[in-house]
Amino acid sequence: MLFNSLPFLIFLPSVVLLYYLLPHRSRWVVMLAASYFFYGYWKIEYLTLIVASTTVDYFAARLIYSSEAVIKKRIGLAMSLLSNLGLLAFFKYSGWVVEDIIDPIIGLSEGQLHQFHSLWDFVLPVGISFYTFQTLGYTIDVYYGKTAPERNPLKFALFVSYFPQLVAGPIERFSNLQRQLFEKVDFDYEHFQHGGRLILYGLFIKMCVADNVSPIVDQVFNQTEDASSLQLIFGMLLFGIQIYSDFHGYSLIAIGTARLFGVHLMDNFNAPYTSLSIREFWSRWHISLSTWFRDYLFIPLGGSRGGRMKLVVNISIVFLVSGLWHGANWTFVVWGGLHGAAYLLERWMAPNPSSNPIKMLRWALTMCIVFVAWIFFRSADLTHAIDFLSNMVSSDSKGLNLNWDPILPTLIGLFILSDLYFRDRSIHSWLATQSTLVRWSVYGLLLFFISGFAGAVQHPFIYFQF
Amino acid sequence: MKLLIKITWLTALLFLINLLYPRFAFEAFLAEHADQYLQVQKIKNCDVIYLSASSNFASGLPTEKDPRKLSQFVADHFPKLRFEAINQPASHAGIHADILEMFRADAEAKTFIVTMNLRSFGPDWIHSELETPLRQAAVFYNNRPPLLNRLLASFRAYDDRSTEERHVLRREAWDNQALPFDAPRNNVTDWCAVEKWGDWRDPKRQLADQFIKQYAFVLNEENPRVKDFDRIAKMAEEEAWTVVFNILAENVETADSLVGKDLTSLMRRNTEWLVARYESIGFVVVNNLESVSHEHFTDKDFPTEHYDDVGRKIIAKNVAVGLSIAMANRRAHDH
Repeated sequence: MLFNSLPFLIFLPSVVLLYYLLPHRSRWVVMLAASYFFYGYWKIEYLTLIVASTTVDYFAARLIYSSEAVIKKRIGLAMSLLSNLGLLAFFKYSGWVVEDIIDPIIGLSEGQLHQFHSLWDFVLPVGISFYTFQTLGYTIDVYYGKTAPERNPLKFALFVSYFPQLVAGPIERFSNLQRQLFEKVDFDYEHFQHGGRLILYGLFIKMCVADNVSPIVDQVFNQTEDASSLQLIFGMLLFGIQIYSDFHGYSLIAIGTARLFGVHLMDNFNAPYTSLSIREFWSRWHISLSTWFRDYLFIPLGGSRGGRMKLVVNISIVFLVSGLWHGANWTFVVWGGLHGAAYLLERWMAPNPSSNPIKMLRWALTMCIVFVAWIFFRSADLTHAIDFLSNMVSSDSKGLNLNWDPILPTLIGLFILSDLYFRDRSIHSWLATQSTLVRWSVYGLLLFFISGFAGAVQHPFIYFQF
Repeated sequence: MKLLIKITWLTALLFLINLLYPRFAFEAFLAEHADQYLQVQKIKNCDVIYLSASSNFASGLPTEKDPRKLSQFVADHFPKLRFEAINQPASHAGIHADILEMFRADAEAKTFIVTMNLRSFGPDWIHSELETPLRQAAVFYNNRPPLLNRLLASFRAYDDRSTEERHVLRREAWDNQALPFDAPRNNVTDWCAVEKWGDWRDPKRQLADQFIKQYAFVLNEENPRVKDFDRIAKMAEEEAWTVVFNILAENVETADSLVGKDLTSLMRRNTEWLVARYESIGFVVVNNLESVSHEHFTDKDFPTEHYDDVGRKIIAKNVAVGLSIAMANRRAHDH
């Protein structure tokens, strides 16, 4: 079930109503049932995957916690790692491994590849990368003794499947969510104001900005050969806006939805395109994933301790894995690699900006890296990305006839201005200080934009495919 | 009380916007995404409406002597009647039924020719990725406030399955829908696997596969497209419309030479089933299945219903005969 769909508009108020009508002790059961319904609505067969992942991690964590012997703890952790990464490997990476790694090495026949394609003909389970990482984080926390495991398997199942953040995050920590999911929440109008504002603004930037930009981005990226240099640069910039508004919009709706139930999810974005460095960018972009990698990969690998070489290796691993997490394609590996390389270079070569002109220069350089890296992220394969880049520098084409809605510059402008204005704070806190007339006029305006100017061709949230 | 004032303010704001919105932005949106809605508003008062998909269009080939549409050739036979066509590529009875709903209220048009495209009953068309935009456009065929329709379209209040999901549904249908032949021709997937044209890379093999995928199915009352035609039939009865169903010509010759009698017998059987079903409830069904020979099909590398001017004229003539009979029946019934 998509957030920007009619079924969700019916589902969410129904769950909210039921949640507050029922006594506190049974509310979490309603949330669990709602979460399974939410996920099963997409494709009921994939519920088995989330149940399997939940079951394995529940027992793995119990084994880790109850065992005195280190070997048993390690067996528990290995169970969790193998099952979660195995699920990911099977559903997400097997096609890529066969086509891009095994085939070039041993040379499969066309018939064998054809047969493989007909066997591997299924839709990637939505959100698999998110919930597997969330449960992995849980077992790792239990392994390091940071948290005690949940005793009740059904309560643990709710942590894994909690519907507001199930399919695309934010990837939550058990310690943050456990207490909130089961504590008594009284009906509070403030929760609704807070959640409602985030949902409304999230829908606006997803449906009016991302979905209106996407047809132009698709056109430029699908017809790279026919686009002029300027159009390719424009397409690259628009993709940066698209992916940000798409994922940021989704995250706001997720956070707002959880807020309706009194739950605080972590922020996922904070004006990333205002960053003065790649390091800062990653503290503002997809925060729940970058902190996940920091806590569960970078630090266990040794972090920055152990000298410069060790740091290079650890940072490279983190960024390459982060690239691969996004998708099974060399383009994502290059995207991660570019960010990793820039991060390391910046760490050693670039001084901290002191004056405003230098800050501007740093910002421009950071954005150049971020946006050029988006070309790899968006391209179908490496050849396409390289063609895109070379045509961007020197294209002979007269250009495409780009068809866009006249209101689009206004929508993008509004989004950019609001993003700058709400840097380091939220639209919710700003609205809370405004008069009733202003607040409700803003709601009306957002509703008007959503109903009248949402993108005609809806695209699923980009991060659903990851 | 305070909340009530806020909601009233919001409602008033949205009401005002709904009044202003159609004057500024709505028509441009419809022109791009739901053009058939605008077409209908312009032609509601014609005498005969021809509903079809891309089969109505001329091929654009330089060899064509007459580049007019099939519907215009039909109109040639009825110079006193005002003819109009509503055509959109990939359209089918489900969409035509939604369009016809718009003629129920205040339109003068009471006579319709509705295309019956045999391929549109098969899984490939039923689960086509082109279905999503068609369904989105159909949201606007409902008589609701413009802003509400736009909102419903934005929130996907229609069958919005993704390309991948539709691809899986197609494959499942090809794997599981039973055909009345012995194995391996008892389902589409297995049948395609044993075709005689060698490797799957051979163009002939690919075309044979396509013919099987497009026409190898057995029609029954559960077919969604049959249900759509049933809906049209019911509407026609309720509104006392004259409706002619036009079964389009398919390239049976190529189907026979590439795949063989099993497939062509299935095509004939399905067509006869349609004729029998709708004639039995009083409709005129024009059966053009084998009216056009191979040379008059303009697409040679995929099964389509695209014809040159000669092919279009042959079909138009048969439709004209069917329409004359249907109108005579209507007059007799009215008297």
